[in-house]
Amino acid sequence: MKLSIRHYTTSTTGILCVMLTVLCLLNSATVYSQVKENTQQGEQLTLKFNLMAGRQHFSPGNTYTNPFGESYTVEKFRFYITQVQLQDSSDMSVQFFPNDYFLIDAGDTSTQTITIPLSLKKITSISFLLGVDSVTNVSSVQTGALDPVNGMFWTWNTGYIMLKLQATSPAAQVPANQFTFDVGGYKQGENAARKIGFLLKHKHLIHSLTLNVDVDKLFNSVHPVKIAEHPMCHEPGPLAMQLADNYATMFSIGEMQ
Amino acid sequence: MKWISTICFCVFVIAAGIILVSSAEKTKQPTMLPFKIPQGWPKPVYDFSQNPVTKEGFELGRKLFYDGRLSRDGNFSCASCHQQFAAFATYDHNLSHGINNSFTRRNAPGLFNLAWQKEFMWDGGILHLDLQPLAPITDTLEMGETIENVLTRLRADTSYPRMFKEAFGSGTINTQRLTKALSQFLLMMVSDNSKYDRVMRGEDSFNLPERLGYEIFQKKCQSCHPPPFFTDFSYRNTGIPEDKYLNDIGRMRITHNPADSLKFKVPSLRNVQLTFPYGHDGRYYYLQDVLDHYRKNVVNSPTVDSLVRDNLPLSNYETGQLKAFMYALTDSSFTRDPRFAPPGYENRTPQAPAEHEHQYKY
Repeated sequence: MKLSIRHYTTSTTGILCVMLTVLCLLNSATVYSQVKENTQQGEQLTLKFNLMAGRQHFSPGNTYTNPFGESYTVEKFRFYITQVQLQDSSDMSVQFFPNDYFLIDAGDTSTQTITIPLSLKKITSISFLLGVDSVTNVSSVQTGALDPVNGMFWTWNTGYIMLKLQATSPAAQVPANQFTFDVGGYKQGENAARKIGFLLKHKHLIHSLTLNVDVDKLFNSVHPVKIAEHPMCHEPGPLAMQLADNYATMFSIGEMQ
Repeated sequence: MKWISTICFCVFVIAAGIILVSSAEKTKQPTMLPFKIPQGWPKPVYDFSQNPVTKEGFELGRKLFYDGRLSRDGNFSCASCHQQFAAFATYDHNLSHGINNSFTRRNAPGLFNLAWQKEFMWDGGILHLDLQPLAPITDTLEMGETIENVLTRLRADTSYPRMFKEAFGSGTINTQRLTKALSQFLLMMVSDNSKYDRVMRGEDSFNLPERLGYEIFQKKCQSCHPPPFFTDFSYRNTGIPEDKYLNDIGRMRITHNPADSLKFKVPSLRNVQLTFPYGHDGRYYYLQDVLDHYRKNVVNSPTVDSLVRDNLPLSNYETGQLKAFMYALTDSSFTRDPRFAPPGYENRTPQAPAEHEHQYKY
């Protein structure tokens, strides 16, 4: 009887031993396959946002003149990018990143370059959303780029500010001459998110793409928006929609490598 | 054979050790606090799966709720305008005091049964309980602080990093965790033990005025103030004329729809005895003033609710009975609940005077 019990314990520990070994093997196998995957799909696309005002480089602290001859000194310029989509029309393959949000900030050059993993053989078109999708607007408090601490969130009227330009201008007849375009809105008829897309023509697979962003277009492209007439946009609505139509035209394709 | 069993024994000891250590780690897990849905009440709208309430999270939320350092000058906590003895409204104030001797623009509502509330503020502008605290913290007429400064202050504190770790598993302090902790505290504030509730549960009985008042209430008030929340959470214009200095258009500020002009959220009547003054701008001091508005002073305009248009017929007799019933909605076990008291004040929660209301006035 005593012997059989001992045999029993031995065999149990034996099984345990085997299981542990198997676990260890499994573990290393996963690690191995991950490494393999990474080396196979290690290609990346770097997207650079080149901020401009007409032909000038655009950054906070500097003074620019908009298409209406109104001069302004920039304090903040930020916008959200999400839903980046890459497409290869030759084999209809698509890469889509709906859950990656990027806050591009004129005051922080490190935010002006974003990298996304690349598995396509060729990129024939790229599209993205300027703004934040409506579902995320009404979800609870987010982290990272979407953290309300970034000052791109309306606390009194739930929703994201999709693009913010804060500046001073002698043309702005408001306290401290400070004018603000806080553009946002996700409800029907007030949705300020804009999908922006480009066809890309190149022979080889590119790994770097520059998007030129012309802030002049924010003031004047689809709708003329003069600082003197509209020094404040601070909620969703018609003015936000006009500015959104304008910022949808801000982008153009620059250098590809 | 012997060496095999020795090796196996060693492996066994190691494995047991690992299990023991991991279970010791498990004991560090926060303690779940069950959320009890009162009998007959609907399912909460708050998604508890995204923010399970724990003892540690609740206590962190409580500390934050009572901490003035969430405001710019350190003087204004959430509790400055949401006092437990007033069912978490501001006692005796039409508008609350904010930073730099400012006044808020609206009357602070009582805080309870928030797990069932989908939209917040008098105009419903805020769409999630977690997002709600960001409004008073950043409002220049309330706490006047930036979220960034609050987070910086909490990170530099001696006890907050430990409390965040206990509640959320790591010492990271960010907006999401700050607001989740506050929500955990706020969610547990369930007021379901007024005399009315005890009567409905068969544990108590109404006196004659209360019973008569309840009958009138069911006929004339309940369509907008239905139990168990005593609000239907809708937005209505009850014919309160616009204050020419506040210029508050209510719900229309959020929806931009002229049909929502001067509409405000129907307030809960639970603990209504303690949440005076009344109305979105607190212009009615006594309950009698509110009833007098409904029976004499409704100002008709295109968006005035059809239920109160041209006044609500109420006799002097009826207003008296209605008040008797509404006083039966006071939940003193809620306003004395030590769980919601300031940390360290559990056994000495301040109380409102028993009969603040000038019940003998009419």
